[in-house]
Amino acid sequence: MATARFNIDDLKRLGLKADIAKGIVGSIGMEIEKIEGNEVVVDITPNRPDMLDIVGFARALSMFAGEQTPREGHYGLEGEPMIEVAVSQRLKEIRPYIAAMVVRNVDLKKGNLRYLVEFTEKLADTNGRRRRKLAIGLHDFGKVKPPITYDAAKDGEIVPLEGKAKQSFAKAVSGTDQGKEYGGIVGKGPYPFVADAEKTISLAPIINSELTKITEATTELFVEITGTSLFAVNDALNLLACRFIDVGGQVQPCTVVYGKKAELTPELNYREMKVKDLDIERALGAIIDQNKVITMANRMGYVAARYGRDTMFYVPPYRLDVLNEQDIIDDMAVAYGYERINPIPIMGSSIGIEDEYTARANRLARTMLGLGFSEAVNYYLTNEQVSFENMMAKEGKSVKVAEAKTEAITMLRTTLLPGLLQNLGSSSHDPMPQMLFEIGPVFNLEGKSPIEAKRVAMVGEHARANFAEIKSYVAAVLRSMGIDDFSLKEGTEGGFINGRCALIVAGGKQIGYLGEIHPQVLNNFRIEEPVVAAEIVLD
Amino acid sequence: MVLGLLKEGKGSSIGEIGKALKLNEDSVMWALEGLAKEGLVSVERREGQAAKLTEEAKGYLGGFPEEDLVREASATGELKIKDIRNQIALSWAKRNGWIDIREGMIKLSKAGEAIAHKGAYAQRTVLKELASSPEVDLSRLGKERKEALDSLKTRGLIELKSSNVITSIAITEKGRRVDTEAREDGIGQLTRDAIMGGKWREMSFRPYDVSASTAESHPARLHPMHEFIDVIRNAWLGMGFTEVSGPIIESAFWNFDALFSPQDHPTRDMQDTFFLSNPKEIDIGDIAILNRVKKMHEEGWRERWQESVAKQALLRTHTTSVSARYMARLSGVLEGSYPVKMFSVGKVFRNESIDYKHLAEFNHTDGIIAGDNLSLANLMDTLRKFYQQLGIDDVKFKPSYFPFVEPGLEAYYYDEKLKDTIELCGAGIIRKEITRAMGTDKTVLAWGMGIERLILHFLDIESLTELYKNNVGWLRARRELKIQ
Repeated sequence: MATARFNIDDLKRLGLKADIAKGIVGSIGMEIEKIEGNEVVVDITPNRPDMLDIVGFARALSMFAGEQTPREGHYGLEGEPMIEVAVSQRLKEIRPYIAAMVVRNVDLKKGNLRYLVEFTEKLADTNGRRRRKLAIGLHDFGKVKPPITYDAAKDGEIVPLEGKAKQSFAKAVSGTDQGKEYGGIVGKGPYPFVADAEKTISLAPIINSELTKITEATTELFVEITGTSLFAVNDALNLLACRFIDVGGQVQPCTVVYGKKAELTPELNYREMKVKDLDIERALGAIIDQNKVITMANRMGYVAARYGRDTMFYVPPYRLDVLNEQDIIDDMAVAYGYERINPIPIMGSSIGIEDEYTARANRLARTMLGLGFSEAVNYYLTNEQVSFENMMAKEGKSVKVAEAKTEAITMLRTTLLPGLLQNLGSSSHDPMPQMLFEIGPVFNLEGKSPIEAKRVAMVGEHARANFAEIKSYVAAVLRSMGIDDFSLKEGTEGGFINGRCALIVAGGKQIGYLGEIHPQVLNNFRIEEPVVAAEIVLD
Repeated sequence: MVLGLLKEGKGSSIGEIGKALKLNEDSVMWALEGLAKEGLVSVERREGQAAKLTEEAKGYLGGFPEEDLVREASATGELKIKDIRNQIALSWAKRNGWIDIREGMIKLSKAGEAIAHKGAYAQRTVLKELASSPEVDLSRLGKERKEALDSLKTRGLIELKSSNVITSIAITEKGRRVDTEAREDGIGQLTRDAIMGGKWREMSFRPYDVSASTAESHPARLHPMHEFIDVIRNAWLGMGFTEVSGPIIESAFWNFDALFSPQDHPTRDMQDTFFLSNPKEIDIGDIAILNRVKKMHEEGWRERWQESVAKQALLRTHTTSVSARYMARLSGVLEGSYPVKMFSVGKVFRNESIDYKHLAEFNHTDGIIAGDNLSLANLMDTLRKFYQQLGIDDVKFKPSYFPFVEPGLEAYYYDEKLKDTIELCGAGIIRKEITRAMGTDKTVLAWGMGIERLILHFLDIESLTELYKNNVGWLRARRELKIQ
């Protein structure tokens, strides 16, 4: 989840009167992480990127509080497209799409610049998937010389942000912090770039040019958004256009030319969705007041009109998250207030049935307790050292993890005993005898298919632990499981003393093994007393 | 018998008497204390102090948290101070001069490096000694040990109680005069002969010193996580939910795609999810569902959907995958059987660096109710009743967002003890796109939650890693899990 930090006075300046500390943020589905002096840090759920921006946040909250209503006249464009952006075919396999606009009457003073930059960076980070899917370039329009081209080249030159002289594209990628962070997206080229009549203004998605840098004094912006998804770049441009219009900016569209096809960006289209009162009521489990539907819709930012017991919702262009009616119903639930919904029991009775394996494992656990074994619950994730080397066992096939942040994690356990031996090793100061069991799955491979198999394992550690003891326990466990007819035959499982290890055979199949653990294994696990052990397959 | 032995001039220590008479130490102690009370033997005691280890202390015998901390710092090379949750470990590592803190980073001192590489830690050495012999002779302790002992005391890891130990045993004059033959008539340990032969009728029971100390017993116990999972299972079963389980090794399809998580979503990074290198792929099987899920993604997210991405093998990140698989089976349910209620409990995995706060594997419980006319009000009622059974009465709800539900909510409560709002679970009504792709036209209520966070609340332990150390002493001595 992304967070945003806003100054409370700045929120007030944008028209938000409600006290932000009084639950309103939670009621709309976001969360205040902390309030530090005059600054509030809010967690914004990923469906509402518009609220990562101070303008969008203040807009949503003041409408929710009923202080403001959605603009009736819709978000509109000013003037005819003046600028053409020509898109090269060379970008097709790299980063094919761009959306652009000119914004006039922009005020970047008093912290507005910081908010704008922070927001666009967050948007490129979240919706833009760390700039891979979309990246945003903000330029001082006064320093841009149209026409604009969007192209890709193996080489070219740019004066990168904070740079003094022209650099090759490769240098700008390798020599800047932004290049180090995002260079992986373009690799060794060809590099996508945006240029005006004279110079490169942006090495997308990495860095802009110093020559068109925006400052507090900037009043006219050229905004370009490049990316791999046409919808993503257009949506993001809509989002930005609305926020500028909300604070008095005038948005002039651009014509983006893809070969023979030309598109106008931004579009700022409203979508219309008709929702029945009944569908809202069904989802809520509450009756809504017909006279309040329009107010509720307004509070969530929709202009709405009634058609009998249906409502037409006009979805503003900045609401990227509204895919269909369900998302409107969700908003209407928020407007209704979750705290006002009275819980209603579900009619009809049903019988709860246990999972067969879990029930069986629980019965077996009671038998193990009766025999004096305490239960251990170990991690499923482990490594070859513990599973094979420490056990003096040949490394078998196992399910491997591709990449783990913790070094000790490389694979899923193939047997239960190593975990139990680790437990004994870390308990050497506790009184003997120490008896542990574990019931749980182990993971193996049959060809390329993973097999999850349930097992029980037991270990006993004390000065006189011996083969006869574990054999007697295993017999008791098997009897309790209804297996009376089993035999032992000499075996050589890894980790056991030769000649003191037996395979358990029942119904002609090997179902487990038992014996005395080899002293080298005891050394490996730092166990100080003799240990007997057994492991039995449950399936 | 004890008196008889002493009369013969044998038995100068408890151990010796025990051996000669085949009695355990407790019985000998009882006998001696009884005899001493009657003035038949004189025992000399040394007034000393005996240390009693707390449960916490026993958990530290294998290693103190500050030792773990420096080991982690040494292993990782750089540890940020804000990542350290265990403040006890931090403050003791500092006090011991093992670490310096510079610009929010932890730097190991020489002493710290020594500890990280298996150097001896005085507090642990002393604690170990006390564990095997609780007697403390203050006069004989060196400076370092004395300091370590004081530290253990201030940390509340040990309790020092004055004790007296029997150092010599001698029979008194009065004792010598006693006719031991006659005294033997008093019953000490009741025997089979005495019971069956009726001999007990002629004998009296020699009274014991009921306050004499005894050896500790160690019950076999279930792991607390197992007990807690059973509490949760019983809560769902009692509400008429059927328990279902599903694979731990899962395809991205059932873990993510079936739940409408976009294929380029950040949670699908290696950073957060354990993908497998062997096997690399898992077959999805049901082609009809696969095609419907593909359509759902391409229409909803307007992005190309790739089967190869969906086939990736991973360790499930939530048990919602079990719910998804169950939804896909709903098309076979008879109309009269609705509402259908199902839950699952099981292990889930996140690719985290393990520390005091983070585990790479933990447990989740998920559930769904499928039927007609199901609402948020029904969902709230269900969750409330579930949490009531865990002793959490005042559950509240607020809106929240999860990609597979709409509307979505989060359940939370205010914890009086922690003075904090605790999130309990995420829930909502499954998106129609998903239910349609799974082949059902029913409304599906769904929720999912982590269990570890809750068990901390009931077990009163500080860190999750403690829960999975499986230290035998801790497993046997821990308190019962008490709900409410």
